[in-house]
Amino acid sequence: MDCAAVRSEGVIDSQTLPGRSQAPSGWDRFEALYRSSRDDVFAYVTTLLGDRAAAEDVTALAFERAYRRRRTFDRRRGEERAWLFGIARNAALDELRRRRRTAALVTDHEDPGAEPTAVEDGAEVALRRTTVMQALRGLPAREREVVALKFHAGLTNTELAGILGISESAAGTLLYRTMEKLRKACDASDR
Amino acid sequence: MRPIDEESQRTLAVIDQTLAGEAVAPQDADLAELTLILAGQRPQPSAAFAASLDDRVSQRFAAAPARPSGQRARRARRSWLYAPGAAFAAAATAAAVVIVVSGGTPPRQLSTDLSATAAQSAPAIDNGAATASSSSATSTTAAAAAPTRAPSPAPATAAAGSASSSAAGSVSGSATGSASSSAAGLSPLVLDSGQANRKVIRSAQISLATRPSQVDSVAQQVFTVVGNENGVVNSSNVTATNDATGYAQFQLSVPSANLGATMAALSRLHGAAVVSRTDNSQDVTGRTGGAGQRLADARALRTALLRELAIATTTTAIDSLKVQIRDANASIASDLATLRALQRQVATSQISLTINASMIAGHHPANAGGSAFTLRRAAHDAGRVLVVVAGVALIALAVLVPLGLIAAIGAWFGFAVRRRRREQALDLI
Repeated sequence: MDCAAVRSEGVIDSQTLPGRSQAPSGWDRFEALYRSSRDDVFAYVTTLLGDRAAAEDVTALAFERAYRRRRTFDRRRGEERAWLFGIARNAALDELRRRRRTAALVTDHEDPGAEPTAVEDGAEVALRRTTVMQALRGLPAREREVVALKFHAGLTNTELAGILGISESAAGTLLYRTMEKLRKACDASDR
Repeated sequence: MRPIDEESQRTLAVIDQTLAGEAVAPQDADLAELTLILAGQRPQPSAAFAASLDDRVSQRFAAAPARPSGQRARRARRSWLYAPGAAFAAAATAAAVVIVVSGGTPPRQLSTDLSATAAQSAPAIDNGAATASSSSATSTTAAAAAPTRAPSPAPATAAAGSASSSAAGSVSGSATGSASSSAAGLSPLVLDSGQANRKVIRSAQISLATRPSQVDSVAQQVFTVVGNENGVVNSSNVTATNDATGYAQFQLSVPSANLGATMAALSRLHGAAVVSRTDNSQDVTGRTGGAGQRLADARALRTALLRELAIATTTTAIDSLKVQIRDANASIASDLATLRALQRQVATSQISLTINASMIAGHHPANAGGSAFTLRRAAHDAGRVLVVVAGVALIALAVLVPLGLIAAIGAWFGFAVRRRRREQALDLI
């Protein structure tokens, strides 16, 4: 899958200097990872926590932890993005444990940062979107997390499997079942 | 890995195509629309937060609280290197303690210093004795005492009993030393001159070990030492063989003032190592004083009797006085003999010396008393060091491996519990 369309954009590139032909240092690799993952991590954490303020804190904490632990990264155990999202997931779950409160997986409020798209035009599309979001809220937490990782964080099935600690086929099956549940829930709601 | 069915693969492919902006088949329009709606709900960070995080990243989280910096940070990163080292050091320390407590190698290093300390304690006890007669004994056992060098060159000649590689002989003899000695100052057993009025009988036993081929050489050194200290070899028995049955025994008498120097010299014989050493002392001040007092009384009585005899006029009185004078003379002779015997014992100390030919495991007596640094000796010492290091490492491993396993199990258990709790937190949503 090409996730370029949904991956982070507009992140500063202050450390990219011309004339660098050497192999990237640890810092350069971290900065590249940050540039490609900032918005994705924020989207995933926001979806998981349902709280933008807390998501900002957790996102910053996740990147800081990743920076501190960048020397412990072992490529043999997975890609850097999966490693980063694993850190973010643990930080988010720790936040959930700390708060000891239930959080809606998907925010109820309109995301102020979201760009208006063409599909939002028209009452029918808005109604369709509301139906989908209601169906999404009816899913178990783990299936909602799969949706967040796939559609909000823009991860591949391989990365998703690495974060959840399951096989790639299991991740694909989980995603397929989740989508089927959503479609059925939407169809039932339409009737 | 269980493969997913065809329908699932097709659904996943449609999702990926939709997210990539590619066209999909008309029958998949509903799934594509669902995908776009879900992707369209993706939260975006605010510009302020994005700028703030960008700034923190560009500063490499410099303002982060509790950030370890500089050398401290590097030290923290290397903590995984220090932890095993600290654990190994702790285990090695524990191993060393075990070795020392169990009577391993370190006590074998007992040498002249310990001997001197032990020996010096005996006079202190004697000098402090207030009773008429007291005794004490100090014993030191050393498996491998190693004096660094002999105070004088070993004698190059062997008077008797020289052993060849195939012959064994037995020699008995005595020798009286005549040379003066100035080595008393080297003695760790020097008497306290401030307590010279105390009468103390001293004796000592010392046991040496040497190579079978050096029994005779060591025995000859004993004669030399005794001669240098104005002592007497009361008896000796030297059996020199080329195996571990070699044996020598000496009964020595030396002036008490030279006892310490003699013992020190015997402890440093070339080619021999001290196996054990015992120092005995007995305070006979009271006995000596009593004998002296009795002697004085008897002499006074005899003087009085002689005066009475000079003025006696009757035969009966004269005969009676003569009998009393004879008894007084006998008493004087007896007391005088007792007093002289005590004085002789106080003035002369007895030393019992044995020399055994043996090869103590891991120890070469010849090396203990040798003064030359040879390649062979260095190789032996190096091998010994390696053996000790290997032993300590083995003991340390025996401590570290179980501890490491326990730590690993604990870490794994903690990790599993933490992961489970995190997953449970997800279920609370």
